[in-house]
Amino acid sequence: MANLKLPYLATAALSGGLFGAGLYVSQMVDATKVLRFLDVTAIPSGGWDPSLAFVIVPAIVIMFIAVRISRSRQAPLFDQAFHEPEYDRIDRRLIGGAVLFGIGWGMAGICPGPAISLIAFMPDDLWIFLLTMLIGSYAGSLFVPSGHARRLADAK
Amino acid sequence: MESFTPLTAALGGCLIGLASAVLWLGNGRIAGISGVFGQLLPPAQTLVWRLVFLLAMVAAAFLAARLLPSIGMGGDVPATLVPAPTGWGIPTPVWLAIAGLLTGIGTKIGNGCTSGHGVCGLARLSRRSMVAVAVFFAVAMLTVAVTGIV
Repeated sequence: MANLKLPYLATAALSGGLFGAGLYVSQMVDATKVLRFLDVTAIPSGGWDPSLAFVIVPAIVIMFIAVRISRSRQAPLFDQAFHEPEYDRIDRRLIGGAVLFGIGWGMAGICPGPAISLIAFMPDDLWIFLLTMLIGSYAGSLFVPSGHARRLADAK
Repeated sequence: MESFTPLTAALGGCLIGLASAVLWLGNGRIAGISGVFGQLLPPAQTLVWRLVFLLAMVAAAFLAARLLPSIGMGGDVPATLVPAPTGWGIPTPVWLAIAGLLTGIGTKIGNGCTSGHGVCGLARLSRRSMVAVAVFFAVAMLTVAVTGIV
């Protein structure tokens, strides 16, 4: 099992660590700050906080370079293949899922990364969000074919 | 505007981009947090690295708050999440439970969240991710406008 070897797990730990530090440094673990980005109604009054855009753009640029590098390689350093999603149809599930997530994100200002990173600080009621997110994720998996083969068969 | 923090935002964004690049070039995996988290439940075929990733994420946030008190949050992480907007008559725990459920279901059937679609998907120039990101940002902005939570 490639994914139980030390370099593989060390890479996962390094990536998770960088991710958690990034969410803290960028203040994306602060739900209020995220909501102040999403609150576009505050643009006319000058109360809008565009910080989130300054988080996501450099992140995309760095990942874009990494994807470019990976295109000239057969496989990543510690696994047999790049696990790139092959399903590329824009369907009702994608749109519906994005709508539901958008409502949830707008209601609480927390997306999955910050929700989990906040365990480090355990604000009141965080456990409610984490538990219901896990239940929601499981509920979603019951009526969505998430298996690789099924999704590809679906696409035919 | 006192709350606009472009420098620490960009620094944090670079760390997140680096995190995604490391996982992709090292293990060939997409650093999508909803995916890493959602597949902890059955059928979980790759449980160990997912747990390692998430534990490291929590530990790093904890350490960053203590080692870098002058950067970013400055150690000042809110002790509470944002309370439910007044006027809707919904207690905050119920409000958060609804938000959590929608986040869980939505990211599962839509195959991703801000990190998987927003960072990795856009960087891969995925059409699905472009659509998902446009939809969830627009809906989240609309939700904030309608609920008046901030």
